[in-house]
Amino acid sequence: MANNEYENKPLNTDDIDSKRVIREDFVSEDRSDALDDEARIKVLSPTMLVMKRFFRNKLAIAGLIIIASMFLFAFVGGLISPYGEDQRFYTTEEMMKDFASGSFNKEYKFDYKSDITFSSTARANFVLALNKKETTFIDGNHLSYFIDSVTENFHKISELVPVAENVMRVGDDLVFTAVNGYEITDELKDAIVSTMKESKTQLSFEGKTYVIKAQGRTSTISVASDIAIASKLVYDAYEQDTVFDYNFKLFAETAFNTEGADTFTVNDVTYRFEKDGDEFKIYKVDENGEKEYAKATNFIVSPSMQDMFLSIEFKEALKESVLAKQEKFISIDDKNEETEFKIYPKDNEYLVKNMQVTRVLKSYSPPSSIHWLGTDRNGMDILTRLMYGGRVSLIIGFIVIAIEIVIGVILGGIAGYFSGWVDNLIMRIVDIFNCIPVIPLIIILGSVMDKKKVHPTDRILWLMVIMGILGWPGIARMVRGQILSLREQEFMIAAEATGLTATRRIFRHLVPNVIPQLIVLATMGLGSIILTESTLSFLGIGVKFPYASWGNIINDVTDIHVLKNYWFVWIPAGFLILITVMGFNFIGDGLRDAFDPKMKR
Amino acid sequence: MTTNNDVKDKHVEEQPIIEVKDLKKYFPIKSGVIQRTVGHVKAVDGISFSINKGSTMGLVGESGCGKSTAGRTILRLLEKTSGNVYFKGEDVFAVNKKRLRELRPKMQIIFQDPYSSLSPRLPVGEIIGEAVRQHKIVSDAEYNDYIDDIMNNCGLMPYHKDRYPHEFSGGQRQRICIARALALNPEFIVCDEPVSALDVSIQAQIINLLMDLQEKYNLTYLFISHDLSVVEHISDTVAVMYLGNIVEYGKKEDIFSNPLHPYTEALFSAIPVPDPNYKMKRIVLSGALPSPANPPSGCKFHTRCPKRMEICSKVAPTPIEMEKDHYVVCHLYNKETENEPEVKEEENVQ
Repeated sequence: MANNEYENKPLNTDDIDSKRVIREDFVSEDRSDALDDEARIKVLSPTMLVMKRFFRNKLAIAGLIIIASMFLFAFVGGLISPYGEDQRFYTTEEMMKDFASGSFNKEYKFDYKSDITFSSTARANFVLALNKKETTFIDGNHLSYFIDSVTENFHKISELVPVAENVMRVGDDLVFTAVNGYEITDELKDAIVSTMKESKTQLSFEGKTYVIKAQGRTSTISVASDIAIASKLVYDAYEQDTVFDYNFKLFAETAFNTEGADTFTVNDVTYRFEKDGDEFKIYKVDENGEKEYAKATNFIVSPSMQDMFLSIEFKEALKESVLAKQEKFISIDDKNEETEFKIYPKDNEYLVKNMQVTRVLKSYSPPSSIHWLGTDRNGMDILTRLMYGGRVSLIIGFIVIAIEIVIGVILGGIAGYFSGWVDNLIMRIVDIFNCIPVIPLIIILGSVMDKKKVHPTDRILWLMVIMGILGWPGIARMVRGQILSLREQEFMIAAEATGLTATRRIFRHLVPNVIPQLIVLATMGLGSIILTESTLSFLGIGVKFPYASWGNIINDVTDIHVLKNYWFVWIPAGFLILITVMGFNFIGDGLRDAFDPKMKR
Repeated sequence: MTTNNDVKDKHVEEQPIIEVKDLKKYFPIKSGVIQRTVGHVKAVDGISFSINKGSTMGLVGESGCGKSTAGRTILRLLEKTSGNVYFKGEDVFAVNKKRLRELRPKMQIIFQDPYSSLSPRLPVGEIIGEAVRQHKIVSDAEYNDYIDDIMNNCGLMPYHKDRYPHEFSGGQRQRICIARALALNPEFIVCDEPVSALDVSIQAQIINLLMDLQEKYNLTYLFISHDLSVVEHISDTVAVMYLGNIVEYGKKEDIFSNPLHPYTEALFSAIPVPDPNYKMKRIVLSGALPSPANPPSGCKFHTRCPKRMEICSKVAPTPIEMEKDHYVVCHLYNKETENEPEVKEEENVQ
């Protein structure tokens, strides 16, 4: 007995009864009753059926949970996280750092009047003249200078201004041409004559020094005026804002080299000094008494940082240690705290280092309660980076797949529906796109963007556009194939026979039948797009710093040291990529099975 | 099986509703890189007939002879190669798209495969009613009642409207197809092997349904089938097709009681008789159906004909009216060639 209604019959109710009913129907020709299976009231649309089948698939559920939690992690997590995407964290650390350096001064220090210049040529010529034991030298500007060597280490330098040229001594008389309007008095004339008689080249007269310089048979007489001093002493101040000017140094040095003197006065301020070996300690004397003011020494100490003031105590301690050939000493640092310093001799210089507290990036700090997954190379919180990276990865995935679907469905739909030469043309374009090596092309475009200095935000947009444009052929091919086969289905012919309009035929009959495959393809495609994006970011041509992406988080592992020692940098990102792609693939598989009507329930 | 009462009650009018004149449908064969047309599959190679309003014409023939192509070409679901089809005197191929869309509801088709002829993504009510709404067959107020009524007439319950095709059996799906055709209030329906995908008991239900509906709505059917017993049951006239041509055409009674064409004889000899003692005189045709792309010359049946004559391979036969309205296309009945000798039996075997 034929019983093809069997499969649609409810199995929960009285089965034998329903069979009997059919037999009776057939005999009695009461056809309407034959289809009366009102016992089955629940009606499932194809969509509901797919949902039902989908939710029966445990893997698909797992995939759905994975993706849902990934969305929560990326979009809600980013909001909850107290840290910013590119917020750097710092830590303080003690480390040996350069503090100062000291050396014995072997060069002349020049000090000169504030209103003149004493060029470097002049300084060089000064040293040359000193070595040749000459008393005059010139500089590049044809200015003549006169050296008055007080001691070996202290020289006064004067500028010579000619007062008389073509000077010839005739007996006790003097023939000359006065220049610069200088008036040479008879007393001066006599003094010059007596000097020339003794074959001396200089004379002092009324507090001024005159220099006689022979030029062939005639001579030139110039008057010298002090403008600079050259000394090998270095002045250290007790107070940070003390400035030593030319006058101070001139008077101080002069006093140092004067037998029996122990005071000097500059600008109405009296200073007293004490000699201690080759050092001089200078006190400022005023009505309140004496006060340590400065120290002149041959040991020069310079701080490692400008603006840093080193106390005399430290400088003395350093000099003593150097002289005692000690490797370390204890003194006070610039903050007046007692610390231990180490001396590293280098050539004639002595480097001084001490432990200093510095603020450094909190790189590769291991997981802790503050940073649950530690920090990366740039001192950024990895968990927060992962959240923002997830956003970028997911957004790129969805936008790229959207671009692919739009292009793919339009072109594939046109190719499939119109067929003929249009189909041929579009399919050849698809073939061309399939021949493009995607990774090299993106690498090239990436380096073009590097060259053009594209902003990281625009870069993400471009990346999406490029990946979308390169990715549509698969979808176009599938849509075209589906539409080609659907077009020939009898329900499409039936739709034409009932006189439905073309738009209705396309949108009510064709498109809904393509959507299942499209959804499956898109879901599967999402996984591969996220993978591609990660690959590109890993290679450094995708998403760029400061934007995070799972790919460029893993990029740190290009350093083998990081790979070996800092698992928390790359394992979480790798794991997220893995489970996200897996989640999308599970959902895709689940959907494909659910859409497949041939699947067993 | 059911009685024939309903068949006898049909009001057959003498006025033809559909007229087919020398209709040809060739499919081009393309090959090569530039897709040059190298030949044609002559699926329908010049058929002519007419069907009166309210009657049923059976179109029989073996698989691949062009029955379905003929059916679809008549409805202009395929473009013709040549010939004419007149629906109520109007040339179906001459009208513009707008007029064609107006004609569509009047000429409907029921397909062989009830599985592929229903869109899986639409509920049944929508499948049946979609075109009704577009053509405004009934007003919006009457729409629901109208669909219920049509479904009821086709043996479907109103609550089936919200279900989807996959929830129905083959027989129910075929009812849905019939309902879809019927809902447009057609005058002419091409039944393209509507029962051959169904099992016998359901075939009977569907055939009876079709006959009931014909009586109720005064429908005209072109019933395409390879099942002769079904054709005998439903048809008023029968046309036998072989390789794109009609070889015999006449009233059902004439053809079944007195088959003239050798092909018809062979075809009818294959009908099983439900009598175990009956010894069948099967006429077994040798060879397969020749390719419609390269049909034999003269009479297309001559390669397989047991009564082949010299002339058969040279001259194509023309229709001969043997009885009133009973035409046969065969040289055997041509008085001018009657006396020519038959081909020897040995040759035929080879």
